[in-house]
Amino acid sequence: MASHMYELKKGIFKENPTFIIMLGMCPTLGVSTQVSNALGMGASVLFVLFFSNIVISMLRKVIPDTIRIPSYIVVIASFVTIVEMVLHAFVPSVYAALGVYLPLIVVNCIILGRAEAFANKNTVLDSALDAIGMGIGFTLSLTLIALIREIFGAGTITLFPMGSFSGVITIPGLSESPVRVLTLAAGALLVMGYLKAFFQWKTSRSEKA
Amino acid sequence: MNTILKTGITLFLICALSSGLCGIVNSITAPLIAANVEKETLEARQVVSGGYEIGAGIESDDPLIASIMELTDGGERVGFELELLGSGYGGEFTIIASYLLDGTLLEAKMMANGETPGLGKKAEESWYMDMFKGKGGDTPLPGNKNDLDDPSLVSGASVTFNGVSNALRYGSEFVRNFKEV
Repeated sequence: MASHMYELKKGIFKENPTFIIMLGMCPTLGVSTQVSNALGMGASVLFVLFFSNIVISMLRKVIPDTIRIPSYIVVIASFVTIVEMVLHAFVPSVYAALGVYLPLIVVNCIILGRAEAFANKNTVLDSALDAIGMGIGFTLSLTLIALIREIFGAGTITLFPMGSFSGVITIPGLSESPVRVLTLAAGALLVMGYLKAFFQWKTSRSEKA
Repeated sequence: MNTILKTGITLFLICALSSGLCGIVNSITAPLIAANVEKETLEARQVVSGGYEIGAGIESDDPLIASIMELTDGGERVGFELELLGSGYGGEFTIIASYLLDGTLLEAKMMANGETPGLGKKAEESWYMDMFKGKGGDTPLPGNKNDLDDPSLVSGASVTFNGVSNALRYGSEFVRNFKEV
């Protein structure tokens, strides 16, 4: 039981895919301009990671070693295609916002990395738990970066419209004079760098303790 | 031989199951996606009409023009609204554009496209089409970025700009030479 819990929790902080393992940097920097994009991308990666890890773990004894990478890519690409179709049909605004980054989930290092490094060698349950933990860790990291970039770079927090709520929370003071550089590519790297430094400091502190 | 056969069959089965699953999801989502695209197109048509009434559709046999709608004012034809097909850096795109009868561009909106965010994707923003608006009649539409007052606006995305310009100029030419069949 303890080992199952470890598989679930490790991706959230100790082996966080963004800040510790440093995987999936391209979408992290690309879509973290708005919180809604980060949540949409995070949920999409979580979905693809969860199902691809389960399928790959189930087929790990069937897939010959020589064709394992093409097989993983086919499985991952199928789930990405499904996510694309579902988002396009039910949440077209998120589909449009994620744009080219959505099909690029196929080559997201987190997904192929977890398939090769974990699902390929572990049981279905552990692989599913690993996917949930890593997916949540990725979503939280992406949302944290997007939150900082959007609050300080645009003075807003963009969520999803619901009923009379437009989906955009405007922050007085910051919306009139935002730090625009944070919404640009350079801002993404700056925020990422500071957060990485913070995580590094936190990890080294807990190791010393 | 057995190993090659086993490997081939395994890969075939994985591909067959994956495409089967995608096919099932597609059969559920395709009608919803089509409805979304239709709704988006209708909204864009209203925005692009420039305040004129959208009249009857005219059948198009031009491979670069997906649809032609008449623009009327008090029942009188004043121009056309075209659904133009073009090609940019990210592949094919669609533009809905309205023109006066002399080929002057009234409004245009970039629809489905695969352009790069931050570069060619700028063509979706309203200021982008402002570079073309009001031209095409007496004043020619810009053919390349050097025809613009500020070419730096489209730097890094010249292929997209040329694609948009070609499509809009084609539309303008089409409207100027339009003859009822």
